[in-house]
Amino acid sequence: MMKNRYKVVKGHRMPLVQRQIVIWLLPLFLVLLPALSLQAQEKKTGVKGLVENEKGEALEGVTVDMKNEATGTKRSTVTGKDGVFTFDSPASKGAYIFTFSHVGYTLQTIRKENLDPQKEEALYVVLKDNSSLQEVVVSYGKQRRQEVTGSIVQQNASDVKDMPVTQFAQQLQGKIAGVQIGQNSGQPGRGMEFRIRGAASLSSDNQPLFVVDGIPITGSINNINPSEIETFTVLKDASASSLYGSRAANGVILITTKHAKTGDPKVEFSTFYGTQIIPQKGRPRVMNAREFAEFQNEYYQDRVKYEGYTGALAADYQNPERYGNGTNWFDALTRKAPIQNYDLVVSSANGKSSSTIMAGYQDQQGVIINTGTRLFSLRYNQDFNVINDKLKVGFGIAPSYRIDHNNRISTEGVNNLMEKIVEASPLVAPVDSNGNMPLYVQSPGMVQNINPYAQFILTKDDYKTTRILGNIYANYEVLKGLQIKTNIAVDKGAETHQKFSPGAIASNGLATGSSGSVDNYSWTAEAMLNYTKTFFHDHHIEALAGYSAQQFKQESNSISGTNFPSDDVQWLSSATSITAGSSNTTAYSLLSAIGRLNYNFRGTYLLSAAIRRDGSSRFGVNKRYGNFPSVSAGWIISNERFMDRFPVVNFLKLRGSYGLTGNNNIGNYTSLSHVTYNNYVFNATLVSGATITTLQNADLAWERNKQWDLGLDLSLFNNRVSFTYDFYHKISDGLIQDRPIPRSSGFSSVTSNVGVLEFWGNEFTVSGAVLTGKLKWNSSFNISFDRNIIRTLLAPGFIRRNNTITSDYYRNQVGHALGEFYGFVFDGLYKDAQDLANSPQYGSASNVGTIKMKDVNGDKTINESDRTFIGNPNPEFLFGFSNDFAWQNFDLSISIAGSYGGKILNPSKWAYLTNLDGARNLLAAVKDRWRSPDDPGSGIYPRTLSGTTAIGRSVNSQWVEDGSYLSVKNITLGYTLPLKGNLALKNLRVYGSVQHALILTKYSGINPEISLNGLNGTGIGIDENAYPVPRVFAIGLNASFK
Amino acid sequence: MNKIFIIVAVACTIVSCKKDFIELSPSDEIPVTNYYKTEAQFRMALTATYQPLRDLENNDFYTAEMRTDNTNYQYYAINRGTAYTMREDIANYMDDPSNNYSNNIYFACFSGISRANILLDRIDGGTLSDAAKNDIVGQTKFLRAFYYFKLVRYFGAVPLFIHEVTNAEQAFLPRSSADSIYALIIDDAKDAIAKMGNPVFTSGKQSGQASKGSATMLLSEVYITQKKYPEAEALLNTLSTMGYDLLAKYSDVFSTVNKNSKESIFEVQYLEGLQGGQQSQFIYYFLPRSTNTTVITGVKTDNSGIGGWNTPTQDIINAYEAGDTRKDASIAVAEGTYNSSNIFTFSANKSIIGYTPAAGKVGVPYIKKYLNPHTNPGNTNDDWPIYRYADALLLLAEAKNEQGKGAEALIPLNRVRARAFGDATHNITVTDPNSLRDIIAHERRVELAFENHRWHDLVRTGKAIEVMTAYGIKAKQQYSYLSPASFNITPSRLLYPIPQSERDLNIDLSQNDGYPQ
Repeated sequence: MMKNRYKVVKGHRMPLVQRQIVIWLLPLFLVLLPALSLQAQEKKTGVKGLVENEKGEALEGVTVDMKNEATGTKRSTVTGKDGVFTFDSPASKGAYIFTFSHVGYTLQTIRKENLDPQKEEALYVVLKDNSSLQEVVVSYGKQRRQEVTGSIVQQNASDVKDMPVTQFAQQLQGKIAGVQIGQNSGQPGRGMEFRIRGAASLSSDNQPLFVVDGIPITGSINNINPSEIETFTVLKDASASSLYGSRAANGVILITTKHAKTGDPKVEFSTFYGTQIIPQKGRPRVMNAREFAEFQNEYYQDRVKYEGYTGALAADYQNPERYGNGTNWFDALTRKAPIQNYDLVVSSANGKSSSTIMAGYQDQQGVIINTGTRLFSLRYNQDFNVINDKLKVGFGIAPSYRIDHNNRISTEGVNNLMEKIVEASPLVAPVDSNGNMPLYVQSPGMVQNINPYAQFILTKDDYKTTRILGNIYANYEVLKGLQIKTNIAVDKGAETHQKFSPGAIASNGLATGSSGSVDNYSWTAEAMLNYTKTFFHDHHIEALAGYSAQQFKQESNSISGTNFPSDDVQWLSSATSITAGSSNTTAYSLLSAIGRLNYNFRGTYLLSAAIRRDGSSRFGVNKRYGNFPSVSAGWIISNERFMDRFPVVNFLKLRGSYGLTGNNNIGNYTSLSHVTYNNYVFNATLVSGATITTLQNADLAWERNKQWDLGLDLSLFNNRVSFTYDFYHKISDGLIQDRPIPRSSGFSSVTSNVGVLEFWGNEFTVSGAVLTGKLKWNSSFNISFDRNIIRTLLAPGFIRRNNTITSDYYRNQVGHALGEFYGFVFDGLYKDAQDLANSPQYGSASNVGTIKMKDVNGDKTINESDRTFIGNPNPEFLFGFSNDFAWQNFDLSISIAGSYGGKILNPSKWAYLTNLDGARNLLAAVKDRWRSPDDPGSGIYPRTLSGTTAIGRSVNSQWVEDGSYLSVKNITLGYTLPLKGNLALKNLRVYGSVQHALILTKYSGINPEISLNGLNGTGIGIDENAYPVPRVFAIGLNASFK
Repeated sequence: MNKIFIIVAVACTIVSCKKDFIELSPSDEIPVTNYYKTEAQFRMALTATYQPLRDLENNDFYTAEMRTDNTNYQYYAINRGTAYTMREDIANYMDDPSNNYSNNIYFACFSGISRANILLDRIDGGTLSDAAKNDIVGQTKFLRAFYYFKLVRYFGAVPLFIHEVTNAEQAFLPRSSADSIYALIIDDAKDAIAKMGNPVFTSGKQSGQASKGSATMLLSEVYITQKKYPEAEALLNTLSTMGYDLLAKYSDVFSTVNKNSKESIFEVQYLEGLQGGQQSQFIYYFLPRSTNTTVITGVKTDNSGIGGWNTPTQDIINAYEAGDTRKDASIAVAEGTYNSSNIFTFSANKSIIGYTPAAGKVGVPYIKKYLNPHTNPGNTNDDWPIYRYADALLLLAEAKNEQGKGAEALIPLNRVRARAFGDATHNITVTDPNSLRDIIAHERRVELAFENHRWHDLVRTGKAIEVMTAYGIKAKQQYSYLSPASFNITPSRLLYPIPQSERDLNIDLSQNDGYPQ
C-alpha cells in the first residue's frame, strides 16, 4: 500500500527531469506529499521514504540518518529491498536533518523544517551520480572513483585531443602529477619516454606497463593512434598496480579505447594540418665560412708562433675575407616539414549491441630532409549484450601499418649524422656547382666527414611495421553478483627493414644493402571470477580471483650484402656478395594468479587487499616465482557526521597503501649461461667453435619495489575545486644490474641483484572552475617533487658508465642520486707562467692558456682521480598547468609543462663543437679564445697548442647547464560554428593549435627535455646530438554528422 | 554459456597444468646443459679457446713492437682523441692504467684462459676416447700456458685462474706471484708436450692447431726467459726431429701461399672472405692513413680510421746489413703526399732498398710482411706468426752461447743467416760469448722483426732501458710532437700497468710500481 502511494508520488514527477531539479524541488514535494496521501491512510505517525537511483531503480541498503537539529539526537535505518525506509514515531516537533548515504552515490542531506512527528511524512530521494562517482578504470576492472584507495589518475582523452601530435604521450605531457613524460628526440613518431614517480632501475628500463583494453603491450607503443583512445588511467602506487605484479614497478598505464555509448549513431571526423619548424633558439651557432677561415688563419699563426711550425697555410684558408657565410649545414639538412592527420569515427549503440569503427591516417615528415613517417590505423570495437543482459561478449581488433623512411638511420649520438651535420666545413657546399654531391665535406686539416646531405638524400632506409592488437572477451553473470570474465588478447607485430646505401656515400665506393624482418607475437589469456555482495546492509565486498598466462615469441632475421653492380637495383638479389645473414628467436612467458578483495563499510571505510603471484621464464631457476601483495585503506571523512559543520567540504578522503611490485624488464634468458659461437680457422677452413660467454645466475631474482603511499582527496565549494595530494616512499631492492666483475674471470659482468634505491616524493594537484559565468575558465595545476638516492651497491659502491674520461658522463654511487654527472671541475685557464707554475698540472699537456682543472684530491697534479660529481640531472620538481577557457563559441586551451632544478650535460656542444685542433667546425664563440697572455679571450676557450686540447673533451663542469624549463606545450584556439538548419552537420569546430609554442629555459640547446636513454634513471639529462624537436603550427577541424 | 566454461577450462589448462610453460631456454643457441659431452663438442670448445688469440694479436703489436725501436706511428695532429693518444702513449712510455690497448692484452689473454679452464674442468664429464682427450687437453694447456706467458711477461704477477668461474664471487682474485704463474705455465707446457703428438704435415702443411712442437717451443722460450739454458737447449734440440725446417727463401715465410708451412711452429689463423668474419686486415692498420689504398693493396678502401700504426723506424731500417734479403722482404715504402688533414695520398709502392723519395713526395715505410694479394678491401688472408723454426734456431744459439758453447751456437745462427743472405759469406765466426750475445740479439731483431718479439727480447735480455732510452733521445730530437715527459724509461716501465678498471672492481688487486696506485 505504501509502495503504491510512492508510485503515485513518483507518477507526478515522471518523467524524471534533470537531477538538479529533483533536489531543488524536493522541499516542495515534501510539502505536497502529506496533502496528496494522507486522506487514504489510517492515521499512523512516522517518517517514511523511498530512495532510488537516477534510473528509477530502488536502492537497497541506503543508510538513512535522521537527526534532530535542536537536541542532536539521531536515529538510523537502512532501506530495504524495495528502497523503502521508515522511522516510527519521531519524538518531538522541530527541524530534522536527513542524510542518505550509499556506496557509490553522493551523500545527500535534506533539512526538514518543522517536521511534525505526529504526522506522517514521506520522503522521496533520488541519489545521484556526480563526477566524483564515475567509475574509473582500475586493474582488472572498474571502480567508483570515490572508493579507490590507491593512487590513480584518470585522464580523458577528449580533454587533450586538439594537439597536433601523433603520439598520445605528447598529449599527456604535464597533465598528471608524478608522471614525467619527456620528448628526448624529434624523430617523427618516436622519441617519447615515460617515467612514473621517478621509477628507475640500474639496467632495466623504466617504461611503465601499457595495457590497452586488457592487452599488455609488448614493445613499442607508437603505433597506437591517439584518436582511438577514450581514457588513460595511470596507476601510480603499489596498491593500484600490484595486480600487474612483476611488471608494475614502473607504474601501469591502462588505456581504454572508444566504445560507442547508447544513443544516436555518430559519425565524427577530425583532422589537422600543420607545419613543423625547428625553433631558432638553441640551434648550434657554429662558425660560418669566413669565421672558420679566420680561425684556421689564427690557428696557423699560433702554430708558427708557439710551435715553430714551418708548413704553409692551406690555400683554402688564405684570404678569409673572400668568404661569406658559406654553407650553413644545419639549414641545409633541415626544413619546414608538414604534419597531417585524419581520423574518422563511426559509432552506434543500442541496448544489445555497440560498435565503433575508427580509421586514421597520419603523415609526419621529418624536419631533417628526406625523413618521415606515416601511419595507417584502424580499430573496430564490437560489444553485445545477450541472454537478458547476463552475457556480454565483444571483441576489438586494431590493425596498424607504419612506414618509417630514413627515420631510424643513425642520426643521434656520438659520431652519427647530427654531429656530422654541425661539424662539417662551412667552406664546402653539399652540392657543388656541377650538381654533384662531394663524398667528403671537410676542409684541409679537418677530420673526414662523409657528406651528411648526400647520406640523407641517397640512403634508402625503410621500416614497415604492421601491428595488430586484438582481444575477445566474454563476461557472464552466473548468479546475481557473480561474474565469470574471460579475456584473450593478442599483440602481433611484424616489421621489415630494407636498406640500401649507394657507393657514392661509402669511403670504399661500395654500395651496401641489408634486409631484415622481425616477427613477434604475444598472447594473453585470462579467466576471472568477480563477486560483489552487500551483507547486513552496510558491508560491501567485491572479490576477484583469476588466472592469467602470457607468452611472447619473436623471430628475426637479417641479411646484408655488398658489391652491387650499380645503384639501379637496390635489392640484395643484385648484390654479388652476401656478407652476413642470421636468424634468431627469443621468447618469454608469464604465468600468474591474481586475487583481490575490496571491502567497504557504508561507503565510508574502505579496505582493499590484492595479490598477484607471477612465475616468469626470465628469472633464475631458484627464483622463478614471486608474490606481489598490497593492502590499502581509505576513509571518506566527508561522510562523517562531524563534517556537517564544514559545508564547503563536499568530499574528503584519506587513503593509504602499501605493497610490493616487481620489475621484469631484464630481457630474456638473462639468468642463464650462454654458449655462443666463436669460430676459428683450421686447415684454411672455417671451424665452428663455441664456449660459455655469459655467466649464469640461478639466483637472479625479481627486482622488488616496496612502496607506501599516503593520499588525500578533497573537493570544495560544490565540487568546484578539487585537490589531491600524495606522498609516496619506495624502496627498490634487489636491483638488477649487469654487475661488473673483473674481466680476468673471462666474463665482464653477471646480471645480479645488486643494490637498493630509495625514492620518495610529494605530488599535488589542484583543479577547478575558476570562472563559471559567461567566460568559463577551468584550470588544473600539478606539481611533483621526486627524490631518489642510491642506498647500497656492491663493492666498490659505484658503477661507472664506461672506462673513459671522455664519455663516462655519470656515475651511480651510494649516497648519491641516480645518474649524477661525473667529471673534472673546470677552473679556468692557466693565466700565465706563474699561474702555470703554481697550479697543479695535467701532465705535460698543461701550458699557459690551456684548461686548468681543479685538483680535487689535492695531490698537486691533475689526473683521472680528480674527477668528481659535477651536477645532478634529477629535477627538484616537475609541474604542469592546464587551462581551458570558453566564451560563447570560442574555446582556448593552454598546456604548460616544466621542470626545475635538473642539470643537463651537453657533450654535443663541448665534446665536438669546441675542438680546438681545427679538425671540426666550431662554435662561433670559440673566436674569443686564448691567443696570448695579452689576448686571453673570454677565459672559456683555451689555446690551440697541439697536444694540449684533449682535456677540454673530457667530461667537466663546463659542460653542465641548468636544465630548468617552462614549456608551453600547446595553445589551441577553437571556434564552434553555429549550424542552424544544416542538414548534414551536427557540429563543426575549427581550431588553430601550436605545439611547443614557447620554451623558457637557460639551456643552450634546442630541447631541454633531452636525455640519453630516454628517461632511464641512468643517462637522463645528457644531450648527445639528438634529432631536433620542432615547433608545430597547425589548423584543425572537428566535425560530427547527423 | 558452455562455450565460456570451455574457454575458462582451456585457459586454466594452459596455465595451470604446464609448469614448463615458464621453463624456457633460447632455441637459437646451444643449450649449456647438453654441451660439453661429446668429442665434437669439446673440439668446438677448444676452437673457441684459440679465438682470443686474434684479440691478442690485434693489440700485441702496439705493446711488443711499437713500444720498441722497431716501429713508431704516423702522428695524427688533427685528431687527438684517446683512440690515438692511447696508442701513442704506449710508444712514448706515457701510458697509464686506463690504456685500452695494454688493457686489451690483459682481457684477451684472460678470455682465452677462462675458455681453457671451462674446457679442462668439464672434460672429465665427457664421453670421449683417451686419445681425443689427450689431444684436446694438450692443446688447451698449451693455449693456457701461452696466454699466461704473455700475461706474466707484460704485467708480472696477475690473478691465477685455474678453474672455471661459475659465480661472481670467484671472480675476485688477488694477484699471484710471477713465480707461481711461471710454475703453472711450466706444468701446463710439460703436460701439453706429453699429451700432444708431433706436428702433422699434409702436403707440407699443418692444420694450424698447436702440436707437441708448439708446446716445446713455448716451454723453451719460458726456460730461456728464466735463464734455464740447459733445459731450453735440450727441448729445442727435440724440435729438429719433428719435421720442422726453414723455407728456402725468407720472403716465402710470409706469403699466404705458405701458411702453416714446415717453418711454422705456431701461428694465428685467419681466412679471407666476405663471409664468416675470419679475415685479417693488419696491412690496413700498418699503412699510412689514406682514403684510397689501391696503390699499395690493389683494392680500394679508406683506412684513415684505422691506419697509421706500427711504422718501421729508421733505426730498424738501418739495422739490416747490406745484402740481407730480409730487409726487402720485411719493409717497403709507400710514396706519396700528406695533406693538411694528415691524410696520405699514395702515388707509388717502392722498395726500401736504396730508396730516396721522388721530388715533392715523402716515403713512409711500412711492414711488408703482412701484404699479400687479396680480393676484398680490408679483408686479408695473412696469418700472424707466433713461433717459427728460425726463432727456435736463434733461441738454440742463445741457449748454447749462454752456456759458453759459442762454437756450437754458430751452427743454428748461421743457418738463419745463410738463408737471409743467400749464401754462407755472411756467416758469423765470432765465438766470444759476450760478442756473440749481441750478435744473436741483433739477429733476432731483424729475423723476427714485426712479429711481436722485440719487446720481450729486450726485457728478458735486460737491454730494454738502455736501448730504448737511447732511442728515445733520438726520437725526441726528430719528432717535435713528442712531449718532454716521453721516453722516461724507468725499471717500472718494463711492466705494463694492471688495468685500472679491474682495480676499481677488485680492491685486492695491487698495481705495478711506478703507476698511479
